[in-house]
Amino acid sequence: MSSTVFDYFTNIRNAFTSIFHGLAVTFSYLFRKPTTIQYPDRIDTPVQQMLPPLFRGILEVDVGLCIGCNLCEKTCPLGCLRTAVVRDPETNQRYITRFDVDISKCMVCGLCSENCPTGAVRHSTEFEASTANMVNLVIRYVKPGERIPVHKPVKGEESPGLPQNEPIARAHKEWDEPPPVDPDQVRGRVRWKNDGAPEEEQSS
Amino acid sequence: MTQLILEDQHGETTMVNMGPQHPSTHGVINLRLLLQGEVIAKIDPIVGFLHRSIEKLGEMTPYPGFLPYTDRVDYLSAMFGNQVYCMAVEELLGVEVPRRAEYLRVIACELNRIISHLIAVGTMAMDLGAFTPFLHAIRERETVNDFMERICGARINYSYMRIGGVPRDLEPGLDKDILKFLDRFEKFIPEFNRLITGNEIFVRRLIDLAVIPAADAISCGLSGPNLRSSGVDYDLRRDRPYSAYPEFEFRVVTGEGYRGQTGDCYARYWVRIDEMLESAKIVRQALLGLPEGDVKAKVPRKITPPKGEVYSAVESSRGEMGCYLVSDGGEQPLRVRFRTGSFTAMTVLPKIVPGLMVADLTAFFGSLDVVAPEIDR
Ligand code: SF4
Ligand code: SF4
Repeated sequence: MSSTVFDYFTNIRNAFTSIFHGLAVTFSYLFRKPTTIQYPDRIDTPVQQMLPPLFRGILEVDVGLCIGCNLCEKTCPLGCLRTAVVRDPETNQRYITRFDVDISKCMVCGLCSENCPTGAVRHSTEFEASTANMVNLVIRYVKPGERIPVHKPVKGEESPGLPQNEPIARAHKEWDEPPPVDPDQVRGRVRWKNDGAPEEEQSS
Repeated sequence: MTQLILEDQHGETTMVNMGPQHPSTHGVINLRLLLQGEVIAKIDPIVGFLHRSIEKLGEMTPYPGFLPYTDRVDYLSAMFGNQVYCMAVEELLGVEVPRRAEYLRVIACELNRIISHLIAVGTMAMDLGAFTPFLHAIRERETVNDFMERICGARINYSYMRIGGVPRDLEPGLDKDILKFLDRFEKFIPEFNRLITGNEIFVRRLIDLAVIPAADAISCGLSGPNLRSSGVDYDLRRDRPYSAYPEFEFRVVTGEGYRGQTGDCYARYWVRIDEMLESAKIVRQALLGLPEGDVKAKVPRKITPPKGEVYSAVESSRGEMGCYLVSDGGEQPLRVRFRTGSFTAMTVLPKIVPGLMVADLTAFFGSLDVVAPEIDR
């Protein structure tokens, strides 16, 4: 507490000089390049292409690379992924019959993509997923009724993986006609064991 | 002096709810105030609005799958949640983390501390009505966030660490960029000090306000910057070393009352400013002395630790963050418990706040730097 007249005036001087110092800093920014960019308009490159390749955006899946091991589904803490594999009893060929990703539940943690042995499931740099209908956020990579033969990795050869920063199937796409979604299966709560996924074969 | 003001009133009190939605509470907290005029006679912090039952979720989720949830304990310093949980599980499993991974963890954690303290000082200035410093702090924070994005792929909820190490190495060229940023950052702090820290009005607003004596700070269980600003020289990084911290040189900052007294709001502010520079120092040492080697130890995909219990603690940017883990030998923990700095910081309110003015409560609450989700978990 200032007790003397001298202190009183010193305080006033200090206040003025310190404010002046602060204003000088602010003023110097008048001559620097702006650090902000306008989003989403007035940018030359879309933000998706400016992000580092590691960026964990919405999941995308190349079903052609999937070996049907079901690891991703098992590691996901939330149960966002649903896969199903059937085996043709005559030819012994295994087919993927279902690959659903519920990106409305996904917290983009990266556990599934890390555990995938072939890099079939990975993160895109896409992040704009807003849509008018929640059902649009369930991405089906295998159309109902379709059967995709599982990928057979060649021994000793690196899996090709996916080209970075090149969207294969834009994760966010509107359904022309929302697919019939079984609410019990896709939007279930955290259930770890035996939650009624379709008949599937154990990986060998 | 406060006693005098209280006696001047005519015994009339008003009950006011500050929050749950109040700009200065930084989240959903309800502070129930009993006012006599403008002076607070009693304060009742009501917490729990942001309870997400993370501990219960931990009991329902296998060990590796719980990791992303630990980000959400304290979203401003998610790295520490990751680290404390990984340390607990590693101790249960008896896994040795490679040295390079420990260094990478330290780098990530200290960058996270810089981010978190920038927000703390920025929002504190904003609470007091100075908006410009907040933007400057946010600008620096965004730069560090970009590094985080390149380290781990996310800006807020990092999910960076894994049980047994970190999932990937630094991307080439990133260490040089971080070093370049640190050079700039060490110049930014003096500029920030000219902008607001040395501002006489700001200083006068904060000094000698809401002093927490060291004895009170200890008895309330405060930790981290709030404890150190009361003059208690205690830092888990030095006093209970974990990870690679014993290999670095750094100063534990205590509030020496650079202006005003030890333990006032300004000391809490100053400790954070100073700690950012210390963190920058640690990051620099870690980057320059980064050892070669693996970044992840071999851990089985299915983690089933032996029976037992363990407590691990790290020095997060809001004090001691602890994780208590009980394993029954199964795939999921039997019990997960988090100890966080913000929750204990709430217990100091009823001790210190009575006698303060309402406007001072904003400054005091800002200086404690609590994060609402961390209180409730
Ligand atoms: S990113 Fe995480 S939450 Fe999303 S599907 Fe993969 S494991 Fe599940
Ligand atoms: S982990 Fe990869 S290969 Fe296995 S089922 Fe999932 S996407 Fe297919």
